[in-house]
Amino acid sequence: MNVTAYQIIVPVASFLAIAYAWNLVVRQKKTVWEAILWSIFWGAIVYIAVDPSSIDHLTRITGIKDRENAVLVTFLGILFFIVFYLVIRLEELEQRQTRLIRKVALKQVDLEKEKRE
Amino acid sequence: MSQKIIAVIPAYNESTRVVQVIEDAKQYVQQVIVVNDGSTDDTAAVASSAGATVVSHVENCGAGAATMTGIEAARALGADVIITLDADGQHDPHDIPAVLEPALQNKADIVFADRFGQRNHIPMIRRVFNAIGNLVTFAATGRWVNDSQCGFKVFGPKAVREIDIRMSKFEFCTEIVRECVQRNWRVAQIPTKVLYSEYTMAKGQSFALGVRTALRILLRSFLR
Repeated sequence: MNVTAYQIIVPVASFLAIAYAWNLVVRQKKTVWEAILWSIFWGAIVYIAVDPSSIDHLTRITGIKDRENAVLVTFLGILFFIVFYLVIRLEELEQRQTRLIRKVALKQVDLEKEKRE
Repeated sequence: MSQKIIAVIPAYNESTRVVQVIEDAKQYVQQVIVVNDGSTDDTAAVASSAGATVVSHVENCGAGAATMTGIEAARALGADVIITLDADGQHDPHDIPAVLEPALQNKADIVFADRFGQRNHIPMIRRVFNAIGNLVTFAATGRWVNDSQCGFKVFGPKAVREIDIRMSKFEFCTEIVRECVQRNWRVAQIPTKVLYSEYTMAKGQSFALGVRTALRILLRSFLR
């Protein structure tokens, strides 16, 4: 079997992603459950990379039969990632706004955190 | 040693209902905090005249944000145990002692009220919404809670110290279950009564909001 660069890079990158997820568990920033979901996801990516024929049945279901369709689906994936990244950024902004509103609300009734400490 | 118990009631445009909830809660707790979440009616004024400490958001931020503000305020006031209640009066105040008990006896760090644990008249659409909420919560956290979406909860001393809710909207209920898992809290679930009315049904989540909430929970828990 000829091993391509892709079949080396993807497993290494996936291994790093899985190691990072479990590292977050050790640092108590992620739950074991979330790390398991994350590991399954990256495990599936590795499996597909090492044995591309494993997704033959998927191509039959989805209709991705040729290069053009594969490019289209890849770009849809990239767009999905960008949209999700923007959603996360928006949520961070929303959280920052909430913290500000909370701070003002607690200050008005003299219950600020800083004052207590 | 007696523990200081504070009730936190997040409220948005609940001027017609919140007074009764405050009166009921006052029988069982030392202090009541109402978080007026940017209401456009006189929720803040009526809550204050009913004897509650009112903390007001200048903008409507959502139930999760309001609950966390109430918890911060309760911590500042020296709460050992915090009880959260919905402002629409759907919970029976007589259930408060039973829900408080596991936390006061140091048998649980968090107590979930379970509206499905006893015979209650709950509309079918609410049962379906709650079942979906429970399933999504389980998928995101790996922990099954019978009534994960209920606003009636008690936080014991450990949970009061550690809780940190970051989600602003209704998905905060799932985040609380995640906190249980993450921080190894001992959990208790107590069957309670629920009093649904046309008013509480109208105030509930729509289907679209429920779907959006579920998607946010799943995506966030995956990429967190």
